[in-house]
Amino acid sequence: MTATIVEGRELLETVVASAVAGVGVTFVFSIAIWGVARFADLSRSERPLAAGAAALVAGLALLATVAAVVVGILAMTSK
Amino acid sequence: MSSDIILFIVVGTALAFDFTNGFHDTANVVATSISTGAARPQVAIGMASLLNFAGAFISISVAATVANDVVNADVITPTIVFAGLIGAIAWNLITWSFGLPSSSSHALIGGVVGSAVAAVGFDAVIAEGLVGKVLLPAVIAPVLAFGVAGLSIALVYRVVGKQRPGTVTRGFKYGQVASGGLLALAHGTNDAQKTMGIITLALIANGSLGADADPPFWVIASSAAAIALGTYSGGWRIIKTTGTRIIKMDAAQGFSSQGAGSAVILASTHFGFPLSTTHVINGGIMGAGAAKRVSAVRWGVAGNIVTAWLLTLPAAAAIGALAYGLTRIFGTGALGPVLVTLASLSLIVAVFARRAERGAPVPASSG
Repeated sequence: MTATIVEGRELLETVVASAVAGVGVTFVFSIAIWGVARFADLSRSERPLAAGAAALVAGLALLATVAAVVVGILAMTSK
Repeated sequence: MSSDIILFIVVGTALAFDFTNGFHDTANVVATSISTGAARPQVAIGMASLLNFAGAFISISVAATVANDVVNADVITPTIVFAGLIGAIAWNLITWSFGLPSSSSHALIGGVVGSAVAAVGFDAVIAEGLVGKVLLPAVIAPVLAFGVAGLSIALVYRVVGKQRPGTVTRGFKYGQVASGGLLALAHGTNDAQKTMGIITLALIANGSLGADADPPFWVIASSAAAIALGTYSGGWRIIKTTGTRIIKMDAAQGFSSQGAGSAVILASTHFGFPLSTTHVINGGIMGAGAAKRVSAVRWGVAGNIVTAWLLTLPAAAAIGALAYGLTRIFGTGALGPVLVTLASLSLIVAVFARRAERGAPVPASSG
């Protein structure tokens, strides 16, 4: 009975972790792509300030993506 | 001496099983990256092979589950493990021959459970472990990957939908190099550990390791090498069949499906759930496809996967039980395993010869 409860909790944690990691990383990476695309468009429109802001968003989102993947792998190996 | 011979056969059979697991799974791991043009086949396969190898060293939780939580190691003998492996390999060959997409992982666990029941009875099975660590995750994981990939791609289209397609596609292709690598790493860590677990179980049964022991380094390294070599070998054939087998999807869908598959497999591996990586990866691909257009998904393939899933555990268990019975006809020594191994090798040659006559087979059964 105790084992079943523990495994049920682990299954629930797996579902939550997978959903957060899978959706979260893809979402943040798509923000990075959005930033790059906006940077290209705004640079063509000669709006350097807005283009810089878009590039900053892209850079931060890319960093967040890499950090999330690294943290995820470290968390998995920590057991 | 006799038990050492059986142990030697078990280790060899388990590593051969691991090799075929990698061989079959190459398509699942690299298909999406190749399909979207994110990576050239040679690069994708080489990278998948290396990361499969690396992934095997990341964790031993799944190996511990296979070795300690499915069957009672106290009553298991190397012959039981051997018969279980024969059950798994035979079922893989049968499904491969008929083009049914089955799971090597489920076949492996089904085979060992079947041979253990035939040898000792139902007391040999740890029901809580089998249900909680194998059956429930087997049902939940592909559905979870489907949902995560579907939700991910819906968000992606919302975020980048109005941007220039060229920039977006190029960006996601770069992303796929990373997500494909992560998927290969995840695949290596979950699938190679099943072989580690089986070899560890045999070592415990033989008295070479204590109960609850972790896999020795040579077991981890050899399992990693076997699955990596299998992945590399399988890949060259997949290149030829890529065009007919892969679902067409864009780079964003590929990234979402690979991200979902990686997340589910890695999270499950952390808790020691031995999954069918094939089912998870296909669940992710279908989720990413269905979110864009329901008719884009080959629902017939999905139906075949469900059918094969339902059949695999009982069928592999039945063959495992039969293999144990055959082995025991020749007593408790090494003669039974040796003869059954020779018979199995003959069967494998016959199946390959039959398939060669009918043309190049499409890989069907996998991890």
